[in-house]
Amino acid sequence: MFFKPLDLTTALRPSLLPDETLLFVQDAVGLYEGKYKIPNYQNGHAYLTSHRICYVAVDEPRKYAVGIDLKDIDRAEYQAGFWKSSPKITVYPKPLKNTLDRSKSAGASPSRSQSPFTPTPVPHFNVAPAQPINATWICPICSFSNPVPSNFDPSTATASTPIPPCLACGIKPPFATILKAAITAASSHEGSLTNPAISQPGHEPTPQSDGSKSVSTPQNGAQVSCPRCTFVNHPSLIECEICGASLVSANVLRASNGDHFRAESPAPVFDQGSIKSTQIKDSMKLSFRAGGEKIFHERLKGALIQRKWLLYNAPPVPQQPSQSSPNSPGLAVPTPTNGSVAPPSRSPGVGIAGLERRGLEARKNNELVIGNAFEDLEALMASAKQIVALAETLGRESGMTSDESSAETSAVLSESVAALGMVTTKDMLGSGAESLYLSELSRTLAEYLTDDRKGILQREGGIISLIDLWAIFNRSRNGVELVSPSDFQKAAELWEKLKLPVRLRRFKSGLLVVQRYDWTDEKTLRQLIDWMVELRQVPPTEPVAWDWRLFGRAVTAQEAAQRFKWSVGVAAEELEMAEDKGILCREQGIEGLRFWFNYITSNPDAQGGDDLGLSRISIEDSSI
Amino acid sequence: MTTTTTTTTPFQFPLTYSFPAFFTPQPNTNTRTSQLQKWSSLIQSWCRHHRTYRLSVIEAIESPLFHNATLRKRISLSDARDILDWMARGEEEGGGGRRAEWIDSNNKTVAWIWWRRPEEWAGVLADWVENTGQKNVVLTVYELLEGEATMSQEWHGMDPDVMLKSLNVLAKRGKAQVFGGEGQEGVKFF
Repeated sequence: MFFKPLDLTTALRPSLLPDETLLFVQDAVGLYEGKYKIPNYQNGHAYLTSHRICYVAVDEPRKYAVGIDLKDIDRAEYQAGFWKSSPKITVYPKPLKNTLDRSKSAGASPSRSQSPFTPTPVPHFNVAPAQPINATWICPICSFSNPVPSNFDPSTATASTPIPPCLACGIKPPFATILKAAITAASSHEGSLTNPAISQPGHEPTPQSDGSKSVSTPQNGAQVSCPRCTFVNHPSLIECEICGASLVSANVLRASNGDHFRAESPAPVFDQGSIKSTQIKDSMKLSFRAGGEKIFHERLKGALIQRKWLLYNAPPVPQQPSQSSPNSPGLAVPTPTNGSVAPPSRSPGVGIAGLERRGLEARKNNELVIGNAFEDLEALMASAKQIVALAETLGRESGMTSDESSAETSAVLSESVAALGMVTTKDMLGSGAESLYLSELSRTLAEYLTDDRKGILQREGGIISLIDLWAIFNRSRNGVELVSPSDFQKAAELWEKLKLPVRLRRFKSGLLVVQRYDWTDEKTLRQLIDWMVELRQVPPTEPVAWDWRLFGRAVTAQEAAQRFKWSVGVAAEELEMAEDKGILCREQGIEGLRFWFNYITSNPDAQGGDDLGLSRISIEDSSI
Repeated sequence: MTTTTTTTTPFQFPLTYSFPAFFTPQPNTNTRTSQLQKWSSLIQSWCRHHRTYRLSVIEAIESPLFHNATLRKRISLSDARDILDWMARGEEEGGGGRRAEWIDSNNKTVAWIWWRRPEEWAGVLADWVENTGQKNVVLTVYELLEGEATMSQEWHGMDPDVMLKSLNVLAKRGKAQVFGGEGQEGVKFF
């Protein structure tokens, strides 16, 4: 089991894999490796998803965020709080099956450690294991024997390959030295491949992410001191010779902790300050300082039983009932309808008969899927994916028949709710954690807004009123877990505090709008000025009493809304904002309120012609 | 009450006059100040052109001054009063430098428009007296206003009240002495 690096969304939450769902969130959680606290991971959010347990620290979340896959978890134990000790949940990794498996997982990780910050959400068991080479090179300066970095491949390395400096004296060795060391090691390694001694169990208690390290540590003569009695044991021993204490966690601690680890690490490209990609040997603990451990444990148990990650590789829906083989995985139930449904000789359907037959077959197929799904719980879980897909297509079809436009909107809505994926609802969160709910809602909103697939903000011209957003957001939740207006506003007010990429803004009139954090009045003003300049060049459609070359034309809030794709309320506010800044001035007439470029302050009498006017406007621009 | 001297050349309106937004009171303080300044100067030059000293607001809002027929835009009575109020205030009070003065401050229907303030008129008169060598000469106010000698002068045909105000300013400065009764005033320059 490994601490895996996490991808975070714009709202600093773990980005979910396809089909992954969020189950629970709890704040004020600390991480333990075995018995020991992991530095920098003591105050953060724990996210339980259907596939993973993710941890994101409050401070520097981009740096301190890790996740562990549920599929690697054997069991989870609940430990109640006592005196000053917070309640904890201990997670035990699955025991490794054999030494082959072990070398595989150890070998796979170096490829990950080369790029610890660009993790791929693909399960890592597909990665071809690179054979670790345990080579050492002798520093020509201080004669310290250094390990050759695991990512150093003698066949592809050139003089430009980055070479780590000597760990003792810090001077970079000549390229030839390392190359030579690597080649000799490789040749001797090939010879020893047949030798089973390399995978002897005694070498196991060095659970490093790095393959070369795990084997090279004993060669360096590093000895393990017992955490209980401090007796210095031979590195091959698993238990202390004197007191019988397990030496495993001591090694793990060394690995995850501080300078000792740093001094011995052979892989300078690996971020030694973090625990990413570090293997959990013994157990991992989550300490719940602000409650929520019971629900977390309950849902974790549930997720471990449901094993949703298996669905990721679930087989597709059998297309023809006649062809659905009895051994189709996931559908463990034998299909009794099989014989009666499809005749073995299926003539290719032509015309209406063919269409009807196809419809019949599709219905039969659906029937089969639904029938199978409800057969028993196991089968339901296996077919969940298909059922969801079926429900979605049914919903889309039913919408399509009713009305063209509404079908489009409902399709968009159902798609967006699917894309929304990560919705935080109140029951997902720890008890009584109102502030946590709000901050999670705030993050959800920020993600919803900044999602390019939906482009909510782009469609609204970069600005949307909070009420409109509230309506859209609640509609996209399809009537479940609706957000109350006050919660919504509170969540929106948290954006600034949480440093999310959207901002709530209050206009003079009290209208609340949402816009990107980098959207400023200056940008709006520039847009408006450009428009005004443009109006001076385009002759008006109807003859006007004034000189349009000089004054252009008046604009209404409706026109501005249309042009910039704002809502009318927002447009009116933006125009008034521009008026406040002295860029525009108003004309109140029987046609309503219209806005002009401010020729009252900037005297048109003074200007000779268009050129002068334009240059004057641009001067004003720069003064904004 | 409007004293209008018909002149041959039509009044040349400024460009702002054909700007529709010019006729709507602006909420922005800076824009509003600018707007009031422009109105003030427009009213002053309009009155100077038409030799108007007292402006009746009710008549003026129907005149081209406050009513742009081409744009079909007009200044309402209350807006016009606001503009004149602003003009009547001194600059130190955020006004237009006392370029107007309500004659009936209760009803606010007629106002002096000081395209030249009495003090300024006093200066002009004093200069004229100086240049024409009429010190210590006694003149009647009627002579000053309607006499042939003042035909070429700016104040010719001026409202007698304005002339008396100006002469009173000179009297306060000790440069003239006004005597005589109602409608029979005479003045002696020193």
